[in-house]
Amino acid sequence: MFRSLRKWCFGTVVMVLWVGTFSANAQEPAETPAIDGGALFSSKCATCHHPFKDGTGPKLSGVRAQWEENAAPGMIYQWIKNWEVAAASDPYAKSVSAKKPTSMDKFGDITNDQIDAILTWVDSQVEDSGGAQNGGSQSVSTQEEGSNALWYILGAIFLIVILALGNVVRQLRRATGGETSEGLSYFEEFRAWAWRNLRYTLIGSVILAFALLVALFQTLYRVGVVEGYQPSQPIEFPHSVHAGINGIDCKYCHNSVEKSKSAGIPTVNVCMNCHKQINGQDDQVAKIQKIYDAAGWDPDAQTYSGKTGPIVWNKVHVLPDHVYFNHSQHVTVGGIDCKQCHGDMTKMEGTAMIQPVAELNKIEGNIQLTRPTLTMGWCIECHGETEVTQITGASYNGSSYYDEIHRRLLNGDRSLYEKYLKDNKVTVRELGGWECSKCHY
Amino acid sequence: MKITFRLVGGFLMTAAAVIVMGSCVSDKDSSGLEYMPDMYRSPAIEPYVDYGEIRGRQVSELKEQLSAMHPPLGTVPYYGTNEEEVRLMLPWNIRPNVEFKSTHGLTGYEFTKENTYETQAKNLVVNPYTLTEENQEYIFKEGKRLYTNNCAHCHGEKGDGNGPMMVNGTFTGVPNYADKKALSNGQLFYSIYYGKGAMGAHASLLNKREIWTLVHYIRKFQNKDYGADTQVGSSTNDEDREPLGDEMDEDATLQG
Repeated sequence: MFRSLRKWCFGTVVMVLWVGTFSANAQEPAETPAIDGGALFSSKCATCHHPFKDGTGPKLSGVRAQWEENAAPGMIYQWIKNWEVAAASDPYAKSVSAKKPTSMDKFGDITNDQIDAILTWVDSQVEDSGGAQNGGSQSVSTQEEGSNALWYILGAIFLIVILALGNVVRQLRRATGGETSEGLSYFEEFRAWAWRNLRYTLIGSVILAFALLVALFQTLYRVGVVEGYQPSQPIEFPHSVHAGINGIDCKYCHNSVEKSKSAGIPTVNVCMNCHKQINGQDDQVAKIQKIYDAAGWDPDAQTYSGKTGPIVWNKVHVLPDHVYFNHSQHVTVGGIDCKQCHGDMTKMEGTAMIQPVAELNKIEGNIQLTRPTLTMGWCIECHGETEVTQITGASYNGSSYYDEIHRRLLNGDRSLYEKYLKDNKVTVRELGGWECSKCHY
Repeated sequence: MKITFRLVGGFLMTAAAVIVMGSCVSDKDSSGLEYMPDMYRSPAIEPYVDYGEIRGRQVSELKEQLSAMHPPLGTVPYYGTNEEEVRLMLPWNIRPNVEFKSTHGLTGYEFTKENTYETQAKNLVVNPYTLTEENQEYIFKEGKRLYTNNCAHCHGEKGDGNGPMMVNGTFTGVPNYADKKALSNGQLFYSIYYGKGAMGAHASLLNKREIWTLVHYIRKFQNKDYGADTQVGSSTNDEDREPLGDEMDEDATLQG
């Protein structure tokens, strides 16, 4: 049974392979004479043209028919090879040259057959209204809010039930002729009950007071802690789509991070470097329109009007004004990765948020810290842990200030630094990272 | 006895109130309780702070104005006293075509009607950031870093035009550098500096030295041996190379 089954399988596989090679062989000769118009289109034309969308150049679907109708025969070849010559000799070509402010590249080395192949390929394309644009779907769930409200409602119902039960007990007691407590409020009744059971009341009060005291201190320790702060922004910017799916480096948009104190919020022209072409779908369209409004870009006419406006983002990571923090110092010199402090933005579906330290600790490669994010404890904890030998900053060339200090510390006169060098490593703290004046001045 | 009840009751109320106030943190739009809130709204100038309202004082003409402002019109940064460095960093002497105002949203440049991409930029064959045996290791390392940060998401890790944005179909029409060997160094610079086609201007993101570094790095994609055989930074099409002096003169006239 098994034997025959195995044989059967083997036979099938061989059969499939054989048929496969045969059919591949059979198909090949039929296709070779044609030039691959699609490949040519993407290598030569796609930079500016799209079959169905006006971009830098006009859309190309149906263009051949228009040329055949309006221009001298064969003029389209001339146009593609050298549009200036075509525009000089043909009125239709001249009108086309006025369509767009940009001038087309000249393709002197392209053959008529290749042009035919490209145009045939373009005309064979079918417009796809949906398309494979932007893989990112952002379903920002309101689940959390909903469950919060649910808890409140449950609590209220619970309270009502308790009060109702208490009322029933009172009614029963009165009906059975027990101790009457008429005219007494709930509080007075509770007080009478507490006096009767003084010992339990006292123990209970002490426990309650202690719990409240602990809770009070815990709350006071949250003062000035900004973890979880995620203010709403003018545009619901999905980091996961940009940094995650599309693989854009953080430093492309936040490009001053390596040169300046501030990491920088991208100016609208940086958004437009991609969004000139990417219009988005569904709910993205309205968001991207806000960029267009700010940039003064008209996506239909494909031109900038010059009328620009601001996008008023809300600042998320705010430090008190008595603290000096410099991004370039940390990123360029220190070689600290963005995710050490900002978390893994490639998975962050929404706008920027101050990540709780517990989240930061989950990220692989991060230095493990205990104090809440953006507090001073958090800063100096990291300064105490980070070794300067870890410096691998991108523009770090191995001959700068810190390397020199490090070399001197390790190889020079050790007596002064004996205490620090006991563990044979140099941390930021030991190079002055815990000096008040490094950050407060 | 009433006093004790009042005391306990009062304590309970306070504690409860504090805890309730503290729990405001769960509201994502609130940064929670602040100790000395003044300190978070610095009167000293910080970037990305709207100075239209500071500590309750309204200044209407500063509303929605960036505190990080443009440098004064007509000024250039100080690039030191090294002549080579200054020549490299001063604003480019090849002006953008006037079309770039409407197609690429360029502002603040002096424009020209001439198609400088096809003329002046095409004739600029020599990369002014000279590639030497000593600095080429650094230039290619730096180039790789800049390329990864700024270009790779579209142009691809290998320069073949297959970056993640292309692979998932978000963006279309990014060329393969291997097909663009005929472009001069000046044209590559022009495309990065002012933009080309669907690509926007990158002059605001990269300084001139960084762009010339990237031009070297792009040449490396096109020719694996780039830099190995030349001691002067040059393009791959050697036949129309201009002497370095001419380019310097052009720069000098701009300065004058």
